Amino acid sequence: MKDLTIPTIDQKCVIVNKVSFKVKEGSIHAVIGPNGSGKSTLAYAIMGLENYKPSEGKIYFDGIDITNMNITERAKLGITLAWQEPARIDGLSIPKYISLGVKDKINLKDRIIEALKIVNLDPERYMNRTIDESLSGGERKRVELAAVIAMRPRLIILDEPDSGLDFIVIEDFLNIFGKIKELNMTILLITHREDIGMVADHGTLIWRGDALLTDEFPKVMLRYCAKAGLKEFCKRKLFNGEGACFDEDYIDRIFREEQGL
Amino acid sequence: MSGTEYPKEILESLEDYNIDIRDFMPGHGKGAKLLLNFNKISGLEQVDGVILKGREIENGIVADIIIMEGTKIEEPVHLCFGVNKETGVQEIFPRIIAEDNTEVTVQAHCSFPKANGLIHKMFGHFYIGKNCNFTYSETHYHGENSGAFVAPVAYMYVGENSVFENNFNLTRGTPGKVKIMIDIYAMKNSVIKSNIRAFGKSKKDSVRIRDSVFLEGENARSIIKMKAAARDGGEVLMYGITEGNAPNCNGHVECNEIVLGKGSICRARPFIRAIDPTSSVSHEASLGRFPQKWLDELLAKGLTEEEATQVLIEAMLQEE
Repeated sequence: MKDLTIPTIDQKCVIVNKVSFKVKEGSIHAVIGPNGSGKSTLAYAIMGLENYKPSEGKIYFDGIDITNMNITERAKLGITLAWQEPARIDGLSIPKYISLGVKDKINLKDRIIEALKIVNLDPERYMNRTIDESLSGGERKRVELAAVIAMRPRLIILDEPDSGLDFIVIEDFLNIFGKIKELNMTILLITHREDIGMVADHGTLIWRGDALLTDEFPKVMLRYCAKAGLKEFCKRKLFNGEGACFDEDYIDRIFREEQGL
Repeated sequence: MSGTEYPKEILESLEDYNIDIRDFMPGHGKGAKLLLNFNKISGLEQVDGVILKGREIENGIVADIIIMEGTKIEEPVHLCFGVNKETGVQEIFPRIIAEDNTEVTVQAHCSFPKANGLIHKMFGHFYIGKNCNFTYSETHYHGENSGAFVAPVAYMYVGENSVFENNFNLTRGTPGKVKIMIDIYAMKNSVIKSNIRAFGKSKKDSVRIRDSVFLEGENARSIIKMKAAARDGGEVLMYGITEGNAPNCNGHVECNEIVLGKGSICRARPFIRAIDPTSSVSHEASLGRFPQKWLDELLAKGLTEEEATQVLIEAMLQEE
């Protein structure tokens, strides 16, 4: 996207301000930032939701300007979104829901079963259920992931896939993201959690509507911590011990730079 | 009589509901059956514990369906009231009795695939005894011409400790003019579930349904779920009525209606009354369009708005 600006519905304020970054095909790209920074707004704008139209800037997909396309047109190009809190609809069966975005209806049942297995839902238990209130939050999110996987889109926008989930489920979800990547689908991962973002190849830090940095994810995360003044957290949880990305001096330098010292 | 002697158009008319009436024809399946072809009884089959009697009258039949005491049958009792003509009058006067301690499902299929000025009337009496588990499901198809006038009236008495489920489906084809009145009287400790679904599809379609539950016995409980959609000028009016007239009874009325296209009208008129201080009766209703978020979720899977709306309507009107 290039210089994307998204105002509030009443056009009085700017939520996302001249944001530009590219997502590499086949990668996991995390958009990280604190609550209220404009991450979900960015996700909805990329998907083309009516109330999230940019006032300036362009969105390109595979070189095509999609800024003025509606949701359906974007979905047909291969973009889709897995929602933070997907709806629960009485009477809509899980297989029907998963099949909605599948273009090639040949071997449809096999495709549905495969998608359920990828998200670790037992097809025998879920083929006869509906996406209603009887599903837990985690189950509903898995069904949503199964539906987007069955579509075989080129770009999946995952909006806060971790929200409302316990750590065991989150660990499982990280494995699912890996499986999605193996299927050559690109993931744009919207999150505010460092442990979720660590599966990403690249990242973009959104801070108060501005895109401050797009780079390899550890560097983006380090900058996020520096911006938030979380030095100890950064050293303790992210970049210490085995697998550390940066030495302590480097971390100190980034924090000093951020503080203008 | 073999199933093929029944008009093919009627046999095939409920396929959109995933119902194959041939499965219920005499010689097929194990359940009791009563088939009416316009005003002629064209099939009648009894099973142990079920008495089926029918007498032809000028414009239809008078019928007795009696489930004898203690009878518990898995195969449904099948009633088929079909008319394969454009016009005419079909009148049904059924008396359905489930004696004490019975468990049975009655499935009625009313199909008028060529209706264009056809009148179908029913005046039914249901008596459900004590400790019964009784389900009555009625599925209608009125053709594609909005040409039927259908007016069923039913009075239903549900005895102590019985569970009674009533299902009415008119979601395929065009309804035409439909006026339905159902009164259910619930005795002590009984449980009533009533599910009504209807879809008006053109300005020639007018559906009015009054579903009433009177909780007359202590601890009686009920839930009425009414779901409807109206498009392209269709009109649907649903009255969901529940009265809590006994101690500790509990009733709820739920109505969801979707309006599509200009000139379409959906109306819900819940009427609830509680005259015992220990009773509890509630209602909730929603009318209008589907939440935008639901539509967006389906659009993001590549559906057009019309396709997404159709998926949501089908889900809403799906039998439970």
